[in-house]
Amino acid sequence: MASTSSSTPAAEVEVEERCRKRKRAARAAEPAAPAQPSKWRTRREHEIYSSKLLEAIRVVRAGPSAAAGAAAPAPPRGRAVGEAADRELAVAARGRTHWSRAILASRRRRLQAAHRARLRAPASPPSRHDAAAASASAASASAAAAKGTATPPLARKAKVLGRLVPGCRKLSFPTLLAETTDYIAALQMQVRAMTALAEALSAVSATSSPGAGSSSSSSPL
Amino acid sequence: MSSRRSRASVSEEEINELISRLQTLLPSARRRVGREASTTKLLKETCSYIKSLHREVDNLSDRLSDLMATMDHNSPGAEIIRSLLR
Repeated sequence: MASTSSSTPAAEVEVEERCRKRKRAARAAEPAAPAQPSKWRTRREHEIYSSKLLEAIRVVRAGPSAAAGAAAPAPPRGRAVGEAADRELAVAARGRTHWSRAILASRRRRLQAAHRARLRAPASPPSRHDAAAASASAASASAAAAKGTATPPLARKAKVLGRLVPGCRKLSFPTLLAETTDYIAALQMQVRAMTALAEALSAVSATSSPGAGSSSSSSPL
Repeated sequence: MSSRRSRASVSEEEINELISRLQTLLPSARRRVGREASTTKLLKETCSYIKSLHREVDNLSDRLSDLMATMDHNSPGAEIIRSLLR
């Protein structure tokens, strides 16, 4: 395989690293390179997400007390639906991105904390601290590297962005960019799917209960 | 300067490519006038776009929970939706 690139060692190192990354991705038995945002636009993903979301919403509706164990009676149903939507989105990402893992991990921590609070005296704060400490120590190294790749005014914006995208508070700048790209694409799909679901449901409820007052959304936008 | 370049594992070009990919997702990409957007502006717009997407998801989830509350499980409507989604 003839490489026609320049003979500078830096370029060769970059090419080698890219090859290594590709091999690592292939060895992990994942067909795609680090999460491609284009997959969120496919019809198949949209359908899978919509049906999973419908199921999750139905579970939420059926019994929030059964799931959360009455330790968190407060999340209003709207928020519970939102959380179910986020969880399904994270599952759809198949654990390839930081933000999806963070969503699932925080949800698991909260469930475990609620569960433990139900059984005995709360031992949950230590576990949260452990997880936070582990992620902080692992990420402080990359935080130092981040300063080298982003000038200060950018670093401020990047920090704000890191707070918005779950689980990306201390990532390096390029990783943060990639995560953001995937996160935005996923959020767009989430909005599309939820909008379609809401339209379908409102259409159904409008037809199934005629004369139930005015339904303002009878015409599509 | 060259020593810093060799230490950093990601080059400027990769960052620029990531940024341009991000830019194509943003709604402002439609009225793009060449690649004039500075990275700072792009990041700022990204932040506000994510926030607006979050808000929209919250609105939609409220709406969905209201709709699900009024809907009956076994109504034929639910069957239709399920078959449509499958």
